[in-house]
Amino acid sequence: MTQLALVIDLNVCVGCHACVTSCKEWNTSGSAGPLCDERPYEADPTGTFFNRVQTFEIGQYPNSETLHFPKSCLHCEDPPCVPVCPTGASYKRKQDGIVLVDYDKCIGCKYCTWACPYGAREIDEKQKVMKKCTLCVDRIYDMSLPENDRKPSCVKACPTSARLFGDIHDPESVVSLAIREEGGYALMPEWGTQPANHYLPRRKMKLKIHMDELERADNPLKVDGHLPKPAKGESSMDDVSAW
Amino acid sequence: MADLSKLYSMNRLYYVLLALGGLAVLGGAYAVFMMEHHGHIISGMNNQIVWGMPHVFAIFLIVAASGVLNVASIGSVFGKAVYKARAPLASLLSIAMLAGGLAVLMLDLGRPDRIIVAATNYNLTSVFAWNVVLYSGMFSLVIVYLWTMMERRMNPFNKAAGLAVFIWRFVLTTGTGLIFAFLTARQAYGSALLPPMFIVLSFAWGLAVFHVVQKVIYSWNEKTLDPAILQRTKNLLGVFIVGSLYMVATYHLTNMYFAHQTGFERFILMDGGVYPNLFWWGYVVLGNALPLLLIYFPGLGKTRCVMIASMMVVLGAFALLYVFIIGGQAYPLNIFPGYEVVSSFADGQVASYAPSLYEILLGFGGLAIAFLITTVSVRVLNFMPQDKPYISD
Repeated sequence: MTQLALVIDLNVCVGCHACVTSCKEWNTSGSAGPLCDERPYEADPTGTFFNRVQTFEIGQYPNSETLHFPKSCLHCEDPPCVPVCPTGASYKRKQDGIVLVDYDKCIGCKYCTWACPYGAREIDEKQKVMKKCTLCVDRIYDMSLPENDRKPSCVKACPTSARLFGDIHDPESVVSLAIREEGGYALMPEWGTQPANHYLPRRKMKLKIHMDELERADNPLKVDGHLPKPAKGESSMDDVSAW
Repeated sequence: MADLSKLYSMNRLYYVLLALGGLAVLGGAYAVFMMEHHGHIISGMNNQIVWGMPHVFAIFLIVAASGVLNVASIGSVFGKAVYKARAPLASLLSIAMLAGGLAVLMLDLGRPDRIIVAATNYNLTSVFAWNVVLYSGMFSLVIVYLWTMMERRMNPFNKAAGLAVFIWRFVLTTGTGLIFAFLTARQAYGSALLPPMFIVLSFAWGLAVFHVVQKVIYSWNEKTLDPAILQRTKNLLGVFIVGSLYMVATYHLTNMYFAHQTGFERFILMDGGVYPNLFWWGYVVLGNALPLLLIYFPGLGKTRCVMIASMMVVLGAFALLYVFIIGGQAYPLNIFPGYEVVSSFADGQVASYAPSLYEILLGFGGLAIAFLITTVSVRVLNFMPQDKPYISD
């Protein structure tokens, strides 16, 4: 069975919110929209967003670093929001594992918000039904788009290519490969919801460099001892390789 | 002549009460219209606090509707004559509060116009859907129960109907508790203690409402309640208050025992601003300690004290539900344990909530529906408790 999902690389996410805005733009004008916006340019704006970026600091200052964590519906394989829906408006598609809401059946009781441990559910305060990330279901199957564009809007927008999209049940897919080889993990696996979306952890790149690798040990003039070693700060023969 | 003028003034008072109740219902209808027209944005609710003030009113009314039937059950199931005489009034109150509570609950839905969708698309795995059946079943069952009490030919079925109502209301309040007990995702809920806690709370709240209404009806009919009867129901209220306080204390103490719940308990009992204040002053002091004092303190415990105690229990109930429902949502989901999260969408932070006028109007509209049903029914049918001169049990 196919299970479409996003894999988000936290190592390269810079928290630019491009995924947030592109998601909003596509979905407010697509079949999942409109996504209401109230007081968008005032002090206390509010609105419906399918994708949000949360930020927290790791460590204590000055040894701290900032982590940006984009979060949308994780399309759980065992989604807690689906069985609690009184009308069955929340459902998980068999063919691709996307969790969707049937806006025409939703009565707006908001009980799914209570059940989702990830806070991914959104009430559209105008339309008064629950909404959430659709993995751009109206886009990924749109045959009128070039194949390269048949990806969720957030994936297309990410400037650092932090977002990957594919079938996590296909062991050869780009997402499975990333999860397997780069330590992909699910958010709060202890809930047993088996989130389909995964995250690639922050990775610290370290390179060990020895002093002799910085000096040009084979500089012939130096080897022969014909030239005095210039002092630090002085210009060298070739301005590059004396040290 | 003098009597007649008094009758006229009582009659006028009755219509004034009806008009006031009607006005409050109209206020609720206005709130529904406004929220329907402008969307929930005009309410205080948001993506963090999805159930607000109307749910506090609705859940109080539904839980008290179940609890007030305790009076009827003690009569029908356990055969106590004092309570049996009060069973019709208790049943009426139950129907009235259930109607008011369900009206608020339904009208607070995002799409109350789709109630037919809820009735025709039934998801059997949803505890919310179970409650739809439990509420409507309760409504029908209590009407049948009333019928067996008020129609002489139906009297033989009274015992069976009473037993059915007794069982059903336990299941119903369990269902209400389960709405929260099944929520493992949030710190405040997901405890098997919640259904029994709601059942015990319902006993206290239902009896408190019953005391107040009974007193008003006796005064209206210029009768005095036998102090011996008040003594018994007063003591029962005291026991229920102690029981509910015990359940709430156990719920919080067990939470405190789990390391991952201590943050939430600290928030709700100490640091959470309005919530600890409402919990300690509103629920514990006003809703439990003072009523217990009024009931049990030597020299107190007379009619006036019991009435004040009952009203305090009702106010305490609202305080507890506000803390339980809204405080529980205000505490953020703990997705990144140990980290302080910021976001441009208020994720990971304590959510703020200020109830809007519309939500309060809707809540009072529900109370007014219950008030109107009770007032009109008491006027047109005989719900006055008929005590025998000698109390046999």
